Amino acid sequence: MADATALRAQTAALLPKLTLTLGADFLEAVSSEDMDELALLPGGLPAAAELLRANGFAMLLDIGCTDHLPLTPRFEVSYHFLKFDLDADAPDGRMNSSARPQEAGSAFVPARLRLRVFPDDLDPHVPSLARLWPSADWAEREVWDLFGVRFDGHPDLRRILMPDDWEGHPLRKDYPLRGLDRRFAPGGRTGAVPPVVTK
Amino acid sequence: MTIDGTEIGRIDSTAAQHMTRDDLSVFIETPDLTAAPGDERDTLVLSMGPQHPSTHGVLRVMLRLDGETVLRAEPEIGFLHTGIEKQCENLFWQQAITVVERADYLAPLLNGLCYVLAAERLLGIKDIPPRAQVLRVMFAELTRIASHLVWLGTHAMDLGAQSIFMYAFEMRERILDIMEFVTGARMHQSWFRVGGLAIDVPKGFLAKMDDFIDRFPVRLTDIRRILEKNVIIMDRLVGVGAINARDAIAWGLTGPNLRASGIGYDVRKAYPYSGYEQYDFEVCTASAGDCYARFVVRLDEMHQAWRLIKQARERFPDGPVAIADRKIIPPPKTEIQHSMEALIHHFKLVSSGFNVPEGHLYQAVESPRGELGMYVTSAGGNKPWRVRWRPPSFYSLQALKALAPGNLVADVVAIIGSLDPVFGEVDR
Repeated sequence: MADATALRAQTAALLPKLTLTLGADFLEAVSSEDMDELALLPGGLPAAAELLRANGFAMLLDIGCTDHLPLTPRFEVSYHFLKFDLDADAPDGRMNSSARPQEAGSAFVPARLRLRVFPDDLDPHVPSLARLWPSADWAEREVWDLFGVRFDGHPDLRRILMPDDWEGHPLRKDYPLRGLDRRFAPGGRTGAVPPVVTK
Repeated sequence: MTIDGTEIGRIDSTAAQHMTRDDLSVFIETPDLTAAPGDERDTLVLSMGPQHPSTHGVLRVMLRLDGETVLRAEPEIGFLHTGIEKQCENLFWQQAITVVERADYLAPLLNGLCYVLAAERLLGIKDIPPRAQVLRVMFAELTRIASHLVWLGTHAMDLGAQSIFMYAFEMRERILDIMEFVTGARMHQSWFRVGGLAIDVPKGFLAKMDDFIDRFPVRLTDIRRILEKNVIIMDRLVGVGAINARDAIAWGLTGPNLRASGIGYDVRKAYPYSGYEQYDFEVCTASAGDCYARFVVRLDEMHQAWRLIKQARERFPDGPVAIADRKIIPPPKTEIQHSMEALIHHFKLVSSGFNVPEGHLYQAVESPRGELGMYVTSAGGNKPWRVRWRPPSFYSLQALKALAPGNLVADVVAIIGSLDPVFGEVDR
């Protein structure tokens, strides 16, 4: 791709600014093979998010989480961003004329950036971005549901994939593949599950 | 009528007349799941689903209605959660492909492609043979057409056009026949492997492809002629569920849903993979951002996918379909029969897989529903440490919260259909 280096230049220019903004919350900035990335502590996330928004990263592509259990810090919450140069004056958010594709059928290439946030091992919680990007709403609920990482300031932080009365956070590495040895019976019998019979 | 001297079945009409709405509301138990402070008392909560035919899966939407107008919509998901991400962590890299493909069950090969590309990048494999690359593009686009045909058939059926379903599924059946002919499976083919493809195409494949390439545009034209300027379709879709570019980006819409709002972002053009940069195709966009725009963009996309298939058919090179590295791809059976080393390689691959160097990266492909990404982490072992999906339908379904309010209940069906969510992928 012709403008791959130009894209990297956009994010590379941003990394020193982010580093300065974060101060003590900054961990490291890496130019990975797939995109530029920044590792930080949860305290710096609101400031970093504001700066990214101000620099055109209008899409919060995804929020994911990884459990590195024997290692510490244990949890890594990963944020992927895409940069779209929206025209601030246009009410419907058209692209800036300079960034708009010139010919019909041609494509727009947004720059990518990743933030990796490392919350506390025992009481993991991260500031919520749901007020800045609406797409963060469900993504944060999913990370809470499956990993038990809380998002401070989330308007409606409850389970999304697992049943409401589920115990534990299934994607944690210390959660067994076959689930906890408990019966899921809302309003029914509780107690140990009969042993699974295998051939 | 009296039983044991007690009169039953008599309505005290005077009492009912004097009952106000507030008195009545005491007796109505409202499932107040979507209620918010400040909501009108005079509204109704309707639970649409979880077994509603128009949701194409298992979805419940809690709707707060004022008459027939939607005030708030809150989709509830998770009914199809099968723990695919957890299962991936407990399978070898090569085994996990079978599980990965079960997420988006309408475009299984594209899930597999994304996962395989991520694994190949972590392994540093760059020399995928040209024949495998071309076949990957060809089958990715066949999958895209098959997926869009399911969307088209069911979406049109939601809107009351019953016959289109048959037109669409007839064409999809031809694609699935090709899939079965080549891979042995109609769905969940698990044909893409780390390092190339599982097997080469059988004899007679090109004749089948030529037949499809000849037939498809005719049928697509038929469908477009029936639907595109159809008064009922226009009435149900034009101006319904519109979202502008700024909101579409904020809600994380990608793929056809984003392009219908005027942003020409396509992963195949922006971050090409499998040699997409060598093909000539257009990014289909529309500007209105409503259900009709999404409808037209998907129809256009099917034509572009057909062009890509045609180009792939024209170049179709000879050669192997997988890399020669025996640490990744098992040797062919003929080699195993006379070579001890090949037998050992085969045994090692089957019993303990291969190790992938430590690292993490984000790989995205353009699935029929948008940007399908995987954030894959390897701890250096023979199983993925973590495979995080970026499911496009998860985010487009979430945008229903912004799209549905202000529309009629009947339009919610049209909006869900136009977003094209697949619940295997939403819930994983």
